[in-house]
Amino acid sequence: MSSDSGLRHSRESGNPSSANGTTDGQSAVTFYFNGNPVDAQASDTVASALYRTGRRVFSRSFKYHRPRGLLCVAGRCPNCLMNVDGTPNVRACTQPVQDGMQVTHQNAKPSLETDFLAVAERFSWAMPVGFYYKTFTHPWMWHIAEPFIRRAAGLGKIDRAPDPAADHPYEHVFLYTATAVVGGGPHGMRAALDAAAQGGGVVLIDDQPELGGHLRYSSSDTEASRTSPGSNRGSNGEESENLDDLVQRIHETSSITVFTSATCFGLYEGSLLGIMHRSPESPVAQRLTQLRTERIVVATGAHEVPLLFENNDIPGVMLSSGVMRLIGLHGVRPGERAVVVGNGEPAASTAKELENAGITVAGIVPPAQVVKAMGRKHVSGLQTREQRFACDLVVMCGDWVPDAGLVAQAGGSVEWDAERAVFATGNLPDGVSAVGAVTGESLPPAVGLALSTDSNPKKVIVCPCEDVTLHDLRTAVDEGFDHIETLKRYTTTTMGPCQGKMCQQAAIDICARQTGRTLQETGRTTSRPPTSPVPLGALAGQHLHPTKRTPMHAKHDEIGCVWMDMGEWKRPLYYGTPDSKKESVEQEYWAVRQRVGVIDLSTLGKLDVRGRDATKLLDKVYTNRFSDLRVGRARYGVICDEAGIILDDGTVSRISEDHYFITTTTGNIEFVQEWLEWWLAGSGWCVHITNVTGGMGAVNVAGPKARATLAKLTKRDLGNKRFGYMRCRQADVAGVPSLMLRIGFVGETGWELHFPSEYGEHVWDAIMDAGSEFDIRPFGVETQRVLRLEKKHVIVSVDTDATSNPIEADMAWVAKLDKEDFIGKAAISRAQNRAPREKLVGFVMDEDVLPPDGAVIIADDQPAGRVTSVRHSPVNEKVIGLAWVAAELAEAGQAIAMNADGRRVTARIVEEPFYDPAQKRLRQ
Amino acid sequence: MSFLIPCPNCGKRSVYEFRFGGEVKSRPEAGASDGAWLGYCYATANRERAQKEWWFHTYGCRQWLYAVRDTMTNEVAETSLPEDTP
Repeated sequence: MSSDSGLRHSRESGNPSSANGTTDGQSAVTFYFNGNPVDAQASDTVASALYRTGRRVFSRSFKYHRPRGLLCVAGRCPNCLMNVDGTPNVRACTQPVQDGMQVTHQNAKPSLETDFLAVAERFSWAMPVGFYYKTFTHPWMWHIAEPFIRRAAGLGKIDRAPDPAADHPYEHVFLYTATAVVGGGPHGMRAALDAAAQGGGVVLIDDQPELGGHLRYSSSDTEASRTSPGSNRGSNGEESENLDDLVQRIHETSSITVFTSATCFGLYEGSLLGIMHRSPESPVAQRLTQLRTERIVVATGAHEVPLLFENNDIPGVMLSSGVMRLIGLHGVRPGERAVVVGNGEPAASTAKELENAGITVAGIVPPAQVVKAMGRKHVSGLQTREQRFACDLVVMCGDWVPDAGLVAQAGGSVEWDAERAVFATGNLPDGVSAVGAVTGESLPPAVGLALSTDSNPKKVIVCPCEDVTLHDLRTAVDEGFDHIETLKRYTTTTMGPCQGKMCQQAAIDICARQTGRTLQETGRTTSRPPTSPVPLGALAGQHLHPTKRTPMHAKHDEIGCVWMDMGEWKRPLYYGTPDSKKESVEQEYWAVRQRVGVIDLSTLGKLDVRGRDATKLLDKVYTNRFSDLRVGRARYGVICDEAGIILDDGTVSRISEDHYFITTTTGNIEFVQEWLEWWLAGSGWCVHITNVTGGMGAVNVAGPKARATLAKLTKRDLGNKRFGYMRCRQADVAGVPSLMLRIGFVGETGWELHFPSEYGEHVWDAIMDAGSEFDIRPFGVETQRVLRLEKKHVIVSVDTDATSNPIEADMAWVAKLDKEDFIGKAAISRAQNRAPREKLVGFVMDEDVLPPDGAVIIADDQPAGRVTSVRHSPVNEKVIGLAWVAAELAEAGQAIAMNADGRRVTARIVEEPFYDPAQKRLRQ
Repeated sequence: MSFLIPCPNCGKRSVYEFRFGGEVKSRPEAGASDGAWLGYCYATANRERAQKEWWFHTYGCRQWLYAVRDTMTNEVAETSLPEDTP
C-alpha cells in the first residue's frame, strides 16, 4: 500500500548489522517460536527476528508443501503466514514483535524443515490443473477424498476453543473525513499536505508501521530518483523533500490524522473505505474502520513481482525490494554471496547496494539467461545458460506492478499501456484521484516473461499462494480456458491469500502469449474488495447483544425462575428450577384457575396515540372499528397488510375522546409504530404516536381472587357494574397512578395494570402481599401459553404466519368489512367470498401423547396441515392444540392424524374453546 | 450497498440508518378491480434509473420520507417529507 517502489540507493553504512536509522540495536523483546524463546529488537517484525536467528524456511506451500522463505518482506506475498497468539495466517514480516508473543508455524508436520506432507510433490503428476474437476466426477468420490485433502492442503487452523473473540476483541469504528489519502509514501504524504492546506480533515492511511514508503529504507539522491520506479521527484522536476521533513510536517498539521499499520482493503459506493488496523492496545486484536469521505487520493504505489524460472520459489530467492527491506529496515544481512537477476540500471544499482551491505555479488544475470535455481530447502546456486553460480541468495529485480485495486474498485480503468510497457490507471470517477507509482507514470517498462516460450519446465511457480505453475497455466489455456476470467477460476491463480499481487501480471502475460493475443486484449480480472485478507471476526465485529430487562427483573430472580429470551427481552418461562418445569407450570396454572396469579407483562409493546385524527388513523390501520368505541372501553384489535395478512394484534383502549393506549406483541412494537407512522405520513392528520414501552411496567392479575386482591390496593370500584369486562379505567394502585384494563387473555377475571416502570418492584410487592392470603402465585410465559391455548386465543406469529388472514384464522369477526375503508379490506373481502384454502382449528388428542409444535397433519398419507401450538390441558386432562388444516378437514368432529413418538396418532377437531366457552368466568 | 441518503431532517446519512419501504405506489380506490389490488400488493415496476421510494429513518428522525434513487448507481438525487410533497 505504501509507495514501496524506489529502493536503489547508495547506503553509507557498510555493515547492515550495525545500528541504523530504524533499528535501535537493543535486544529488548523475547517472543516464542514453536515454544522456543527468540530474542528480538523492539523494532523487529516476527520475520526479521527469526531471519536474524538463521531461520530460512518460513512456511510450506499450500498444495505441494514446498519450503518457502521470505520473498517480499512487505506483507504482500503468502510466504511467511504464521499463527500468532492463536490467530492463524498472520503475516510474520509485518507483525511487530511483542514480549511473550507465541508464534507457531502452519501447515507442516512435524516441522518446517522436515514436512512429511512434502511427499505431495511426488504425486504432482496425479494432480494436474483442474484436479478437482477432472477427478471428482461423482459425489461419492469427493466424500471419500475430502477428509484427506482437508488435512493435507490449506493454511492455518482456526482456534475453536476458547472463544477467540473473548481474548481478542474485534471492534468497529465509524468515521468521516473530507479527504482520505491511501498510501503514506512521499506522494501520499504530499497529497495529504495539499489537501490539508485546502481545508477540511484529512486521514492518511498506510499499511506499514511508519510513514515514508520506500524512503524509509532508501535515500533519495538524484541517481536513485532517476532510476527508481515511483520516483520521489515530482513530475515538474522539483527537488524531493527529505523524509524526516515530510513526516514532521504531516505530524505538525493538526487536521491530518495518521493511521499506520492499517490496510485499506476496499473502496465502496458512497466513497466508503474499509480499513483494517491493529488496535493500539494489542497487536493481534483488530479494529475495522468504516471511513466515509468526500475525496479519495489513491497513492498506494507499486510492488515488485517475482521473475519466472525453475525453482523461483525456494528459500533464498527474494525480490530486490524484500532484500532492501531486510537490510534497510531491520539491519539483517540476507546472505553472504548473491546473484542478481535483472536488467540494466536496476540490476546494477541493486548489486551496488548489496556490496555496500557487505554481501559478495557473484554475478549479474539477465532474466532471459536463467535456467533454474539450485537447492532444496535453501538456494545453493543459480544455473544460467552459460554457467553455474554458487550462492546463498538470488535477488530478483522483477517488474513493478501498480497497487491499483482501489482504483479499479472505484470504477477507474487499469489498462496495459503498450507504448510504455506498464499497467496505467485512468478514467477515475469524480472525487477519486491517483498519484505516484499507482498511476504507472514513473514505473520502468515491464520485462514480462523471462522464459523463452519453447521451454516448459514443470516447477516454475507463477502463483505462490496456490502452487500454480507455468505449466498449469499453459495447459489450462490449451484445454480451452483461454479467457483471463475462466483461466483464473479453473486454475485458482490470483485467488489465494495475496489476491493476485504476486501472480496477476504473470498470469495475464502467459494467457496473452499462449493465445496469441495482446496484453490489452487479454485484459485483467475484476478487482473486488478485499484487496488484502480481512479476518471474518473483524467483519463480524464485537459480540454485542443488547438485553432488555423488565422493571421487576430482580424480583423474578429473588423468587427463582427459569429465564427465556423473547427478542431482546428476558422473561420468566416459569418459576422454579430447570428440572421442575412440569410441576411448576401445573402449580402456576391451578393458582390462576382456582385462586389468583400474577404475570409480568412489561415486555408488551405500548403506544400512546393522541390527536384529533387518532380515531381516523386507527379505523384505517386496524381491521376493527374504533369510532364506535366508547371512552373507558378496550377492544381487541388486529392489524393486517394490504394483502390481508395478519401483522399484529393487541388491545386498544380509549382513554379519552382523542387519546388511545395501544398494546402490541412483544417483538413487534417497532414495526407497529413504523406502520402507524407510515399510514400517517402525508395524510395531513393530526396524530402523535409515542412509544412508551420502556417507560411503562405492566402486570396481569388474574383468577377468581384477582378482584379481592386488587381491591386491597385501590379505591376504584372493581365490581362488574362499575368495572365490567373490556373496560379501562385510570386508578391509583398501591399509590401508583395506573391504567387498569379488564381483559382476559388467560380466561379468568383479571386486570392488566400499566404503571410507570420506576414503581415496578413496589407494585409487584404490593400485589404479592395483597394476594398472599389467597396464596397468590407468580406465573411465567409457559403457564400463560397453556392458559391461553385452552381459550383458543392465538399468538400472532406462533399460530399465524406470513400467509394467515383473519378469515382463515377463524377471526372473521375482527374484520369490519362494512367499514368504508381499512388496510387489507379488499384482500379480506376477497378471502371472505372465496372458498378457504385452510383453516386454523382446535383439536383434542385421542390419547395422552404430546406431538411436537410444528408437527405435520397427515390425511391419506399426504401432508394436510401443521400443528402450531400443543400443550397438556390440566383442566381437560387431555392434550389440546391449534393447527392449520386443509379446508375440507376443518369440520368439528373430524379425525386428523399426525406423527408423535415415532408412530401415527389421531386427534379430533373441536369448534368451541377448550375452557369456559360461554366466557362466564371472564365476566364474573 | 453503502450509499448515502440525504435525509431532509438529518442530512446525509448511511443507508444502514434507514428501513426500505419499497416503491411509492398509488393505492387503488375502494371498489377497484381485483387486478388493480393484485398489482398494488405484489407487483413492482423496478424502474431503471430514477425511482421514487419510501424510506424510514429508523436510527435518525424516525420519519417516513420519499427518496428518488437511481437504481443503477444507488445515488439518491432528492428526498422530501410526504407532508411537503404535493
